[in-house]
Amino acid sequence: MLHERLIAALGSDAVKTEPEDLAVYAFDAYTEGGRPAAVVLPKSTQEVSAIVKIARDCGEPIVARGAGTGLCGGAVPTAGGIIVSLMRMNRILELDLPNRRVRVQPGLMNLDLSRQVGPEGLFYAPDPSSQQISTIGGNIATNAGGPHCLSYGTTVNHVLGLEVVDDAGEVFATSIEDAGYDLTAALVGSEGTLGLVTSAWLRLLALPEAVRVWVAAFDGMDAASEAVSAIIAAGIVPTALEMMDAVIIGAVEAAFHAGYPTDAAALLLVESAGFEEDVAASDAAIHAIVKAHGAHYWKSARTLAERNALWAGRKGAAGATGRIAPNYYTQDVCVPRSKLPQALRAVEAAARTNRITVGNVFHAGDGNLHPLLMYDKSDARQVAAVVETGNVILQSAIELGGTISGEHGIGWEKREAMTRVYSTADLAAMGRVRDVFDPRRMLNPEKIFPNAARCPEVAPP
Amino acid sequence: MRTASPPVAPKTAAETAEILARCDRAGDKVSIVGGGTLRGMGFPAERADITLSTKRLSGVVANERADLTVAARAGTAIQSLTALLSTQGQFVPFDAPRPQYATVGGTLAAGWLGPRRHLYGRLRDYVIGSTIVLADGTIARAGGMVVKNVSGYDMSRLYVGSFGTLGIIVQANFKTAPLPKHARLFLAPLPERTRARACAQLESLSMRPAAAFWIDGFHHAVDGDEGPEGRVVVLLEGSEALLERATREVRSALGRAGVPETRVLDAGARESFQRVVDAYVACLGERSVTYRLASPPQASEPNVLRANELARKFEMRAEAIVDVLNGDIILRVNDLDARALGAKIEAFDDALHEIEPRAQVIAGDHPNRIYLRVWGESPPAIAQMQALKARFDPNRTLNPGRFVGGI
Repeated sequence: MLHERLIAALGSDAVKTEPEDLAVYAFDAYTEGGRPAAVVLPKSTQEVSAIVKIARDCGEPIVARGAGTGLCGGAVPTAGGIIVSLMRMNRILELDLPNRRVRVQPGLMNLDLSRQVGPEGLFYAPDPSSQQISTIGGNIATNAGGPHCLSYGTTVNHVLGLEVVDDAGEVFATSIEDAGYDLTAALVGSEGTLGLVTSAWLRLLALPEAVRVWVAAFDGMDAASEAVSAIIAAGIVPTALEMMDAVIIGAVEAAFHAGYPTDAAALLLVESAGFEEDVAASDAAIHAIVKAHGAHYWKSARTLAERNALWAGRKGAAGATGRIAPNYYTQDVCVPRSKLPQALRAVEAAARTNRITVGNVFHAGDGNLHPLLMYDKSDARQVAAVVETGNVILQSAIELGGTISGEHGIGWEKREAMTRVYSTADLAAMGRVRDVFDPRRMLNPEKIFPNAARCPEVAPP
Repeated sequence: MRTASPPVAPKTAAETAEILARCDRAGDKVSIVGGGTLRGMGFPAERADITLSTKRLSGVVANERADLTVAARAGTAIQSLTALLSTQGQFVPFDAPRPQYATVGGTLAAGWLGPRRHLYGRLRDYVIGSTIVLADGTIARAGGMVVKNVSGYDMSRLYVGSFGTLGIIVQANFKTAPLPKHARLFLAPLPERTRARACAQLESLSMRPAAAFWIDGFHHAVDGDEGPEGRVVVLLEGSEALLERATREVRSALGRAGVPETRVLDAGARESFQRVVDAYVACLGERSVTYRLASPPQASEPNVLRANELARKFEMRAEAIVDVLNGDIILRVNDLDARALGAKIEAFDDALHEIEPRAQVIAGDHPNRIYLRVWGESPPAIAQMQALKARFDPNRTLNPGRFVGGI
């Protein structure tokens, strides 16, 4: 009945029901979950609305999905239901150049947007490492970050308004210019639990006149992370400030020949962008700080090609670890920036205790750690060790005053950890928002909130 | 409207929670006040059995200088927080009018939009955590002291601009930014024939000023020439080297537009900028009403001309501060006395909303203010907003009727 109704509404081309097709949608980039009852690929807001109405009639939950690059199960149908893949809604709808804004559909690939507005001297700032495949809709769902959000802010800073299909299939619109509550801010980062975004107005920025990318190399992670803390403490916020350890440097050089010094124990990738005068001044100040912290190597990209190579190495780092182990798990935690050295020592200790190889590649300037825990998933000891290591890292970040996700989201994987950072009263306040937008808990159920049996404050009203 | 006196001023979140829980059970309505600087925004609460002041909930609770984060309680004066941050080379772009009185909690609750936001971002984007007391006395925290955090809904940003109708913000945590080392202000007369070109030139500068205004009226409130013509005020911020280049750009842009001699101010530049921001809510007793029209920058110039035309038609005096870079128009209309204004303000309000449906009243003490569309047209998602209010404050205990759509 469900399949027939979906096909009648959208056509057979837009509805997948064969087991081998459905199996593909049981995964994101890391997590495996339940099987969906159907996968639909709408082409318009009206079709999304029709799907939600059918799902409601049939009692099926809805899981919105972009490119599936998430790492914590946010788009995985753990409770079954209908996957709404927004990949066919991938167009730019309106480009308003004088006011530097653009309206796009959710399935548009992040990098496509910057590519298309680049010739106009503009770009879209949030740049998660997945930007060559991940979509704007998915980025909105997780309030995605990326290296450049150190200076430009995360996705929420760049969303001006949304068109949303609610849990009853009705369409509503939000704008940060509207009077009333900032629903746009509440929806960004809500991981598909409050509605399905069907279009978004985004802010575009002018391309900077000067961009310089530097690499600084250190003999130890401590020295590099102390340099990062010192840069921030000196009141210098570069455009991006990324860090890599020896494990990652080796993997990246083997895979991409990005131009990193291979004898370094730690490396900082620093980008300064803006006006010529400021870039020069900030470079000089950063150089002095890294030298004082023992950097033995400091080199800038001389050409655009060199600059792109340095960045390509960073953005492809996780993939490059395939040379070290068949599988990796990326933890995502964020700590106060002055606590970076302690946080990294805790990562190192946890990996050593559990005999796991760890590679660190992360947004140091934001205090946002991404330890990659490498393992072979056919080895039960290693799987258990990775889970334990990830857990210890999470706990140590909390103890340092940090949080359990800087930019990847909570999804399915971290939902039970929510009670470690929030009281039941804190979670109940979030639950009130959920009650308004999804009282029946049919939009991406089993995500963000801990299991209601264990945390009754977040149960539906 | 019943007014309770004197205000209660709890000293802690727990005390605040006790008061709210008691009122919520008893059916007493609570009106919330901070520094009172933005009391001209929104409707007055339709009933206030108790007025709750945040003035004793004040002080910086965490100043993590090396992390570029700071946490302050709601009643902290903006000026004292700004002064503290500036001693350590940091800032948060509050841009609040009358910062010696304005509070952290009030400025956030009002969702204040300052003129430097086009460059530094909205105030809400600096809020990384908060503590709120809900109507039933629940104390809920959100976010934390880290600059990136995606753990559940962004409750802090939802509370910003909620006008105390979802709960009382008792603490806010901010990320700070490095304070630009230098500031420079340009003041020049702006004859009518040069306006359109000057605005277009300022908007297209490659080196964006921190703020740029075209000001018509507000003679004694704002620095600069007090002749019959308008003025242009431009604030530049940044390093010394940057200011040198930007100065050349601004001078030549204004010169090209035909703007006569330009005065440049280094000492006191930020103070002079602050006087413009103060003027946003400066009112002439009961003789004036001030609107904010949020137009896209491209539409602000035609909109202000139409608004002026309209005021002339109603035989009212209109003064305007046009924030050239964000497109905001601050429009203050006044008449000889409160009665003269009262006789026409409602008809003017209707006509103004035909030009800009989202125009909001932000200042003015005229008794007829309550009959105006102070929030502009209802937002499309008003039903969702009303449902949020009902879920957070089902008894309508907090600031009832103060917000849009009867919230």
